[in-house]
Amino acid sequence: MSYGRQSVQQTAPFLSSPAIADSGDLVARAVAILAEEADTWRARQATTRTFGVTGDPKAQSTTGGHPAHTISIRLTVNGTSHVLSLDPRSSLLDALREVLGLTGAKKGCDHGQCGACTVHLDGRGVLSCLTPAVQADGRHVTTIEGLSPPAGDLHPMQQAFIDHDALQCGYCTPGQIMAAVACVSEGHATSPDQIREYMSGNICRCGAYVGIVAAIQDAAPKMRRS
Amino acid sequence: MSDAPFPDAPRIDAYDKVRGAVLFGADDARPDILHAALAIATIPKGRVISIDARAASAAPGIRLILTHENLGHVKSAGFLMAGGHGFQSLQPMISPAIAYRGQPIALVVADTLEKAIEAAALIQATYSTEPASVTLDAPGAETINQADTPLEKRFPEIIAGDADRAFAAAPVRIDACFTTAPQHHNPMELIATVAEWKDGKLIVHESTQNAEGLRHGLVAALGLTPDRVEIISPYVGGGFGQKYAMQMQTVLVAVAAQRLGRAIKLVVPRTQIFHDSSFRPAIRHRVRLGADRSGNMLAAIHEVDAQTSRHDLFPAQYAAVSSRLYGIKNFRGRERFVRTDVQTPGYMRAPFEHAACFALECCVDELAYGLGRDPVALRLANDTTTDAISKLPLSSRHLAECLRRGAERFGWSKRIMTPQSMRADDGSFIGWGVAIGAYPCFIAPAMARLRVTVEGGVFISIGTHEMGQGIRTALAGAVSRKLGVPAANVVAVIGDTRASPQHMTAGSWGTASAIPAAIEAADAILETLTKLSPSGPADRTPAEILKAEGRASLEVEVRTKAPGQPDEVYGRIAAGQLSFAGPVYPEFVTFSYSAHLVEVRVEPTTRRVRIPRVVSVIDCGRVISPRTAASQVRGGVVWGIGAALREASDVDPRYGGFLNSDLAEYVVPVNADIGCIEVEFIDKPDFKFNSAGVKGLGEISMVGVAPAIANAVYHATGRRVRNLPIRIEHLL
Amino acid sequence: MRPFTYTKPKSAADAVRAIAAAGPGARFLAGGTTLYDLMKLNVETPSSIIDINSLEGLSGFDTSSSSELVFGAMARMSDVADDGRLVRDYPALAESLWLAASPQLRNMASLGGNLLQRTRCAYFRGGEPFACNKRRPGSGCSAREGINRGHALLGGSNSCIAAYPGDWAVALSAFDAKVDILGPKGERTIALEDLYREPGATPHVETVLEFNELILRIRVPVTPLGRASTYHKIRDRESFAFALASAAVALQMDEDTVRDVRIAVGGVATRPWRARAAEQMVVGRALTAQAARAAGEAALQGAIVTRDNLFRKELGARTVADALMIAKQRAIRR
Repeated sequence: MSYGRQSVQQTAPFLSSPAIADSGDLVARAVAILAEEADTWRARQATTRTFGVTGDPKAQSTTGGHPAHTISIRLTVNGTSHVLSLDPRSSLLDALREVLGLTGAKKGCDHGQCGACTVHLDGRGVLSCLTPAVQADGRHVTTIEGLSPPAGDLHPMQQAFIDHDALQCGYCTPGQIMAAVACVSEGHATSPDQIREYMSGNICRCGAYVGIVAAIQDAAPKMRRS
Repeated sequence: MSDAPFPDAPRIDAYDKVRGAVLFGADDARPDILHAALAIATIPKGRVISIDARAASAAPGIRLILTHENLGHVKSAGFLMAGGHGFQSLQPMISPAIAYRGQPIALVVADTLEKAIEAAALIQATYSTEPASVTLDAPGAETINQADTPLEKRFPEIIAGDADRAFAAAPVRIDACFTTAPQHHNPMELIATVAEWKDGKLIVHESTQNAEGLRHGLVAALGLTPDRVEIISPYVGGGFGQKYAMQMQTVLVAVAAQRLGRAIKLVVPRTQIFHDSSFRPAIRHRVRLGADRSGNMLAAIHEVDAQTSRHDLFPAQYAAVSSRLYGIKNFRGRERFVRTDVQTPGYMRAPFEHAACFALECCVDELAYGLGRDPVALRLANDTTTDAISKLPLSSRHLAECLRRGAERFGWSKRIMTPQSMRADDGSFIGWGVAIGAYPCFIAPAMARLRVTVEGGVFISIGTHEMGQGIRTALAGAVSRKLGVPAANVVAVIGDTRASPQHMTAGSWGTASAIPAAIEAADAILETLTKLSPSGPADRTPAEILKAEGRASLEVEVRTKAPGQPDEVYGRIAAGQLSFAGPVYPEFVTFSYSAHLVEVRVEPTTRRVRIPRVVSVIDCGRVISPRTAASQVRGGVVWGIGAALREASDVDPRYGGFLNSDLAEYVVPVNADIGCIEVEFIDKPDFKFNSAGVKGLGEISMVGVAPAIANAVYHATGRRVRNLPIRIEHLL
Repeated sequence: MRPFTYTKPKSAADAVRAIAAAGPGARFLAGGTTLYDLMKLNVETPSSIIDINSLEGLSGFDTSSSSELVFGAMARMSDVADDGRLVRDYPALAESLWLAASPQLRNMASLGGNLLQRTRCAYFRGGEPFACNKRRPGSGCSAREGINRGHALLGGSNSCIAAYPGDWAVALSAFDAKVDILGPKGERTIALEDLYREPGATPHVETVLEFNELILRIRVPVTPLGRASTYHKIRDRESFAFALASAAVALQMDEDTVRDVRIAVGGVATRPWRARAAEQMVVGRALTAQAARAAGEAALQGAIVTRDNLFRKELGARTVADALMIAKQRAIRR
């Protein structure tokens, strides 16, 4: 385990180990929790989940004449191609989170009213909670997990969010960053007022708006340069 | 310990947050998890006569349906403010009684989220209904004096001198009534529970501000022992008070998880959250303020009617702060409950202070105009160093400096006092308003365990919760400075009942409770290291000393508590019982203070109100983490703008509940609503209060913003709007 | 959400055939920002979804012709809002798009779907227990005696006062737009204004479209009026909110006199509302502040106010007046 910038702070391991619980040493527990959680995070980044994969890429992509329990779609997420067998009612958000285990995109309202679920679909910012997963068939999705390589440098927007403290609790942050990147790449970051307007689709209840605008102003020229 | 201010440093968990690497409660995506959804009551009050779950059961993939008929042996965990652990004493689904619209009547568990939601919508219920009273003015609402209830002991009426006589005799008298609408916290994170039983132990991942309270709430509800329950909540996606107690769904999910022997996830939809967690109650105030012609405030009477539920009395503490904003020798506060058919309200950021200061500070502005005195000067003239109620000295009060610094930075001296006298080029009316705020400083007991390792790691295990206020960053900053190690090497294990007893984090007491303990633990480590290796160079890191002495690690434990508290309080934390003290301590009284100066621009015809700039100066003692503290203040200002101009939960008396229960209709500020917010800190430590000199910040940052806005609106329009939120229709 | 069958035809003709075969319980799915949202609330419960996002030839738009602007029904709001010619020559149309919703929603939503968006009335969207004649015909209207701050002042009835929340349709109304529709019997064209129906006794019927008809394109006759136009939108916060009152105004000036004018109001009516009486008041006259004010009042003529929406009569009038002055400034600058 390493420290410093590479360290992953205490987060919730979902595979609680009895060995941890029995340890009488409170801080030894902490060390074990962190190690486990770092493994979970690394595992998430590295593997393609096999849950929901069908072997047959020609599998039915419509439900025919009957309400089907599943429908097959092909989806490229952060550069990796998946064939998924989904409930036709499933949103892209729930497919990303529950099927692919990419929990960076968040559910804040599930009705397109807060922006926490923002991802890029074919390079454009969209709300994954209001995108039926079937509509992403054959298309490219980028989530916060795909914005920068797992062990590499941060995207300039991510770094700018850190530098300008454009976040507090962090729940809306992935959506904010994806929307911020889209704001710049879609040509709407030409002035602070324009940034405020175009970032108004992402609610931050912690009120980090001032930092968010500053971060975007900082990152925009860096993005354009690279 | 250096007494110097702390330098700017990045938020310690920002790196993980910008990558989406932080896992919140619902971020459990294991493939075999089951999903749950709630069915809710559609009547405002009455009883479930029957539940028809046949269609729901017949839907594909349904594993379990729980109702009051089969919930089994579940007890209420009681209301936290009455010695229990829940946000209300009513645990849904124990009985068929319906106390409010939106109360859960069934929990459906299925293989997938879509199936659970589908089946929950197929649950049918028949009801018998009773008349419901859901607003302060409803005929069936019951009004009772807090002083006539058992709460009087803990929250006695605030009385000093003879306010009624002094007011009647005062040469200048202000008498005004104010209302604030009910409001909802709406943190971005949806309330969610992941529960599973492993080897007889209940493990719950749920974002909470009170991991110990949640644990003991489950213990009480399910008849368990504390060692059989773990609560894991390392990050909270916004708290603001909403997560201060056990919510209504945790017990239900735990029962279902036990029945099925599987992990179950329930994410409560936004619209259901409006009805199934606490909220800021509707309030009516009357403030009477008496002064002499020089502007010395002689008397104040503050009377409040505050909404509560039928089943719980949510304590009212408005007068505790309005009595202490200034040195007013004659004060009388009276608080009454109005019992309505709603879920129990609770603490929503600056729960009493925001409303109380709104009412009083608007009156002070009226007083200033009545006397023709500058509003800043009038406030400065009524400053104090003593608490008017207890007569004890204030341990620190830099409010005058806040006002002076704020006024200077804002350019207040250029203000033309006459309303509607300042215009912008586009014809907008410019309004400049000022108001102050105060927030009580509490301290909760803390037990800190600090370990340093030969690899250079520093681990601190302590009871507190990170909800974006930056406690992880403050802990890292304080400990790293003491030990001379990089902040990134300091890892906090918090929000986790496996690590350390977890007292509730609320009331802005987190920093004042955790940081002194952390610093004292670091001091203890240094002392121990010195004893270990007294002869080595003074500037070695703990890791270097350990290496030289051939030791793998070193650990200390430290306990801290509020001035005047007995040692018994440490047992209370482990029992999940609220144990904070303050703001009145044996020898002093402690508050944080704010001064907010606001510029509004009111469009001449359509009367939209914009806030291009705010200057906020805060006295919160020593600032441990300047960057996150400044963000906290900006967040508080955004909340103040929302409270003053945007947020209201609509109640239709025919249906009960809240009509605008989503984020489109419940209007919170968006990015385009916010302009420039300048923040400054006095940053003078209060070492009487605690060894780190820190006071609270999270809520004082909001207190005073709403009246500053209302006063600015008056300056721009000549209209006093005394009901929040202020909207276009009040200014047309 | 109820289960549904799902198909994705390749042509408009296939789509119309598919929905006819599926029956009145079927719905076209465009951007999903209205339909999918209402399906999550169980307000819309289609048994069959026909996804029209792959239909050839409907996602383009052309603002270069000298006779008419042509917008494919499946063109995205964001693409059209950014069109340079539209921004320059018909700012009201461009503004009505970019002042709507949020950037993400504009990337998702289609022009045709946006025309057909449904009311934000909380009693409609909230489901049980709220009585709602639009959602459940005959059950009553909760809004008339309830919280109705955002409800319609114009075009309502005893059965329903739900406001039409859209912006794009309001601006199009000011420009005499036409809509091409494909049905089982072939193509037809109607004026956009004739697309919408007031609630009357049947609030569940919002347009003249049959369930099996598909909007193909929207056409706007080219007009010099577009240049000095604006879409003025007043709402409860600076962005990402529906209109309390809005006005689409287009002007052609002869020195100080109004040669031609178009006025449509939004937010305050049950459908996009062309204000011809207001137009009559200003055409041929000098556009003074008083004249603008009089036009504003005329635009809200006949408004029936409720307990909570009374202020929007005044706000609506002022919004129109403001919009006229903004358009006048644009006329002067040209």
